[in-house]
Amino acid sequence: MSEWVNGGLQDPVYMAQRIAACEREVQKGIIGQREIIRQVMLAMLTGGNVLLEGMPGLGKTRLVSTIGKVFDLSFKRIQFTPDLMPSDVTGTNIIIKNEQGSAFSFERGPIFANLILADEINRATPKTQSALLEAMQEHTVTVGNDSHALEEPFFVLATQNPIENEGTYPLPEAQLDRFMFKILVRFPGREELKGIVALTEGSQEPEITKQMDSRGLMAARALVNQIPIADAVMDYLLDIVMDTHAGNPYIREGASPRAAQALIRAARAKAFLEGRFNVSFQDVKETAFPVLRHRIILNFDAVSEGISEDDVVEKILEENARL
Amino acid sequence: MEQREFVKAIRNCRRRLNLAGFLRKLVTALTIGAAAGILFQAASFVIPLYYAGSYAVLALVLALIAAAVTAYVKRTGMEQAALVMDSFGFDERIVTAYGNMDKEGAFVALQRADAMGQLQAHRDKIRITLLPPWKRTGVPAGLLAVLLVLALVPSEMKERAEELHRVREDAKEKVQEIEEVVEALEQLDQAEELTPEQQALLQEMIESLQASQEEYRQLSSDEMMRAAAEKLEYRYENMGSQLAGLAQSLQNGAAVSSVTAESMQALAEKMQEMGSAQLAKGNAGQSGNGGQNGQGGQSGQDGSSGGSGQNGSGGQSAQSGQSGQSGQNGDGGQSGQNGSSGQGDGSGQNGSGRGTGTASTPHDYVSIPNDIADSGNLTGNAVDHDASEYFHAQNGLSWEGTHMSHEAVIGHYEQNAYEGIAAGKYPSGMEEVIKEYFSNFD
Repeated sequence: MSEWVNGGLQDPVYMAQRIAACEREVQKGIIGQREIIRQVMLAMLTGGNVLLEGMPGLGKTRLVSTIGKVFDLSFKRIQFTPDLMPSDVTGTNIIIKNEQGSAFSFERGPIFANLILADEINRATPKTQSALLEAMQEHTVTVGNDSHALEEPFFVLATQNPIENEGTYPLPEAQLDRFMFKILVRFPGREELKGIVALTEGSQEPEITKQMDSRGLMAARALVNQIPIADAVMDYLLDIVMDTHAGNPYIREGASPRAAQALIRAARAKAFLEGRFNVSFQDVKETAFPVLRHRIILNFDAVSEGISEDDVVEKILEENARL
Repeated sequence: MEQREFVKAIRNCRRRLNLAGFLRKLVTALTIGAAAGILFQAASFVIPLYYAGSYAVLALVLALIAAAVTAYVKRTGMEQAALVMDSFGFDERIVTAYGNMDKEGAFVALQRADAMGQLQAHRDKIRITLLPPWKRTGVPAGLLAVLLVLALVPSEMKERAEELHRVREDAKEKVQEIEEVVEALEQLDQAEELTPEQQALLQEMIESLQASQEEYRQLSSDEMMRAAAEKLEYRYENMGSQLAGLAQSLQNGAAVSSVTAESMQALAEKMQEMGSAQLAKGNAGQSGNGGQNGQGGQSGQDGSSGGSGQNGSGGQSAQSGQSGQSGQNGDGGQSGQNGSSGQGDGSGQNGSGRGTGTASTPHDYVSIPNDIADSGNLTGNAVDHDASEYFHAQNGLSWEGTHMSHEAVIGHYEQNAYEGIAAGKYPSGMEEVIKEYFSNFD
């Protein structure tokens, strides 16, 4: 381990290998869900936040905790409920009495960690949800007149249940846009389920070891940002984002410029994770779904015809297919 | 792999892509061109399309040119070539490296090295086929074969198209020729010395020629061509005679421009020549129909006006049968028969019997031998149908039997012609010509 800590942090080849090793280590603790793991890894490499949508019991919490272990990151879980207050998330000023007298002191909330699992985020009130906005975007928390910087790297992995909508508060578009990816966690297949049961109900849990620390992760992120993109690939990427706007018969509101930024970063991260130092069409294509699906708002025609966001993205990709 | 080699590899790929693209477009162009050619050829079986073959070739040539132009305009660039190379499993490494060829930086250099390494290791993966699949090349080949067969298969419509084309080409020449004559007549018509009657005569000639011109423009068969040629020949001869007469009267007149008279005379001779040429052409077309020579005999009558004999010039043409008429008045007429001493010593009234006429008639009557009298439409003395003997009459040889004057014979012909017109026996448009013909005898 010391070899890259002492000099390999600037070595893209070595760092790419380490990141790939991290992914493999996460896969040891999570059976199946390779696509989910890959996408969360991409978000980690780009500093993006992730919204995981899926039924309860699909291993979302386990995934986050495993990642925390692999990257040696502090991990906090916040269970969002309707009565959760913003201060319960961010922390609050409390009066401390000591020998000098009474004074206000900021008591950090659970958001002060590297990895935050915001479980069932749509059950909290919009006010509390909004408390996450600043943290997710600016990586700071402001309480009273004081702003408190969050520890880097900072990731929010939020989950939401797609079926129990009663008593929930759907995330507003502005907040959804802050999530780099929206990942759909699907029910595992039979073989995967068998593996999950064997893993979790067995006598011995797999040993997850640390593969990289926060410094390494930050260094890898810096390398990812340097990956060059060919003009043709950039055109392809921009065409995809633009096609979510004008003329699309199923979209009411298209993706924001932030979507294009997220798509570039995600494609770069995917290339890096695969040990490549350039972005391919395939990188863009594969990352387009989690980047765009929560950033486009379907119109009535799409809803009435049962067309999903993924269907629309797929159609856009088909129309822009290269070679 | 060095940078130079890397660029060279992309350039080679681009060259191959361009060639493949051209061949692909060529196949498409040949398909379209051959299909168009087949349409033309198929059409030539239904409608008279003389240029069907040329159109088919033109369609193919145009298609080939279009293919070449399109291939050039849409030729592959270096970046596109790099993208194509990437599609063989290089994941856009090559295009990224090529795009950043001039850039510097550790990461860019790393990426470039990665791309070059991958290209060197897996160069054999890049396979750009030049020829389109055989299914695509088979289509134009088949179409070209069909085109060739259609072009070689004869048909009535193709023959008709050839005839029509030939007729139109000839007609075009004739229209041009008539146009020149009309212009010459129009110039003569401008002469101030001419009386209103003479001008009207010239105007009549012009209109008559314009009618011929219009007729030639509407020709659509050899048959019509022959008919038009006959009419035109008649008109030329007739006008030649009229012009010759007119020229003579102008020469005899007091205040006449010699230039006008000479040009009129020259035109008259030219028209007579053209009439002869027309006749020859018409005869050639009809395998030497002797009936045309009979017309020459009629012109001989025109010659009786003596005009051409007096002029003592020309007379080389077959139409100098006119001069043969002049020979009635003297030995010069005999010379006319012989066609030799065109510039004969003019013992005739007008002093210059001339020409080489072959249709001259030395008698002022027509003999109907006894042995053929009353047969068919001939009337005569058919007593016991004995063979008639010939004898020397005043103006030459004659036959025993019935003798009829020329006027009577022409009268018979005229009567039959008018009966034919009334019965609709003649082609449309010929009626006026026939009437005009006979009216000239009056």
